[in-house]
Amino acid sequence: MAKSAADWTAPPNFPATHYVDSRIYTDEAIFEEEKEKLFKPSWIIACHESELAANYDYRLFTHPAGMPLIVIRGEDAKVRAFYNICPHRGNTILYDPAGNAKRLTCIFHQWSFDARGNCIDISRGEQGYQQRFCKEDAAMREVRCQVAFGGFVWVNVTDDAPGLREFMGGAMEILEPYMVQPMEVFHYHRARVRTNFKLWHDTNSEFYHDYLHYFNRITGMMQPGYFDRKYTGFPNGHATVGSMQIQYDKYEGSKERAVGWPGLARGGWYMVDVFPGMTYNLRTSVLRIDTAIPLGPNEVLIEFRGLGLKSDTEEERRQRVFDHNMIWGPFGRNLHEDLLGVHGQGRAMRRGTDSRWVLQGREENNTIHDEVGMRHYYAEWSRRMGRPAYDPYREGKPDRAFQTARAAA
Amino acid sequence: MTLTAKANPIALSRLRARPLEMNVEQRKAVEEVVYRSCLALDARDYKAFLALCDPEFRYTISTYSPEIRREMVWLDHDRKGMETLFTNLPRHNSDHSPLTRHCTVYTVTANGESAEVVSALQVFKTELDGGATELFAVGRFHDTVKLAGATPTLAKRLVRLETRLLGYGYHIPF
Repeated sequence: MAKSAADWTAPPNFPATHYVDSRIYTDEAIFEEEKEKLFKPSWIIACHESELAANYDYRLFTHPAGMPLIVIRGEDAKVRAFYNICPHRGNTILYDPAGNAKRLTCIFHQWSFDARGNCIDISRGEQGYQQRFCKEDAAMREVRCQVAFGGFVWVNVTDDAPGLREFMGGAMEILEPYMVQPMEVFHYHRARVRTNFKLWHDTNSEFYHDYLHYFNRITGMMQPGYFDRKYTGFPNGHATVGSMQIQYDKYEGSKERAVGWPGLARGGWYMVDVFPGMTYNLRTSVLRIDTAIPLGPNEVLIEFRGLGLKSDTEEERRQRVFDHNMIWGPFGRNLHEDLLGVHGQGRAMRRGTDSRWVLQGREENNTIHDEVGMRHYYAEWSRRMGRPAYDPYREGKPDRAFQTARAAA
Repeated sequence: MTLTAKANPIALSRLRARPLEMNVEQRKAVEEVVYRSCLALDARDYKAFLALCDPEFRYTISTYSPEIRREMVWLDHDRKGMETLFTNLPRHNSDHSPLTRHCTVYTVTANGESAEVVSALQVFKTELDGGATELFAVGRFHDTVKLAGATPTLAKRLVRLETRLLGYGYHIPF
């Protein structure tokens, strides 16, 4: 029987940990709070070291909390990160998304900085500032930066946040054995989607939506071992997904991924979902990295990277690129479906649509169609935000309703 | 606008090439293959599209990423791969918004039994609900058209994209 308005808005008959209030995906104030409480204290992937191969190579990155960053390899080969904001008049220092620059010069008044963030030249400095202000006063704002977990450049804009390894809480142990060999980014593109960033991370945190993907049904869901894959939760909201043997040749036009990955079993596939919006996705021959950069409560920019091994032969690389594009490129079979899925959620959850709840109630012993990955994420979200995802405004209804329902049962 | 070899190497080489003699009828026939390929794909008439293609047909979408400073291939199929891509389409969940390809043939350079054709491409997407049209992508076709048969056929198509932000993507190539 279809629901009345009252039924529709009544809390679901699940424990409060098993659903969230969909207003957490649309509320502007909650979104601003997320930038402060989730993104600022977290370690975020800015780029990969292969994007900064030579000394003085730089890469621009917009931090999910909003800060424009320059990531640059210094003359000592160390990678550092700074605000891409001139300390003089607040202008943009570098414009091109990547390049090589021994001096970082703001075009506005030609103040220059080195790759360590030191100001090395103030145009007509002494004439204008006399002894009141000098180069030492005009350094760039440095951001904590570390290359780790497969050569990725991680940044943290909060000076006193816990270190990267502590932040990861052991979640990367499942992948670390496969990220020993140097890797290289061969694919980069972005998708701008009218949806909330958490909905993208949700999609990466549950496999029940494999029903969306013909490719995954044929090569995975219908194959032995699929329902044995398990989710494991880690501190700070991260989660991993165990492997299985994907039968790539079951999809017409695809074939067994012969090129493989060092140490990974044939057809293997591991995932690590990193709180609050990044995913490592090692699928047999390609590592894909997603980084979500929220632009608003209902808009997200997602950066997609595809990586192979630095040691790849031309043929191996060609094969990895083919494998990547088959499902994950902008014209790939799966990525379009996933993005269409979260676009649809964003469309249905816009303010005023009366969308009310998002269910995360599947329990299957933490296996692949269990929604524990999302529940684990929202437990951390609630902890950091200081408000429960199921009752973000502390209206108190969900708990009461659940207790009533339980009592009646 | 400055054309650099890194940004668009194929376009640059075409600009330098001196076209061989080609009569109006030949050029018209070559242009028509390109235009018909757009019409066929706009209509999702894949049979008609493949009928324009040579048995050795190769289709590639590529672009340059200033972010990672690398050439990227986003799709690369031979004729069989394209056939399979089209055959599999109904099995997938796709955006059904129609695309309209607007193409203008810029240069046709005869080269013995084939011609190298450079065309400007704009792809527009029209929403099913309400009919709003937006520019979806711009780029160029770099086609090799075989002239040996009774009618010209597409032997190779490289779609060289300038646009790299394609929203939630698309299942049907340009």
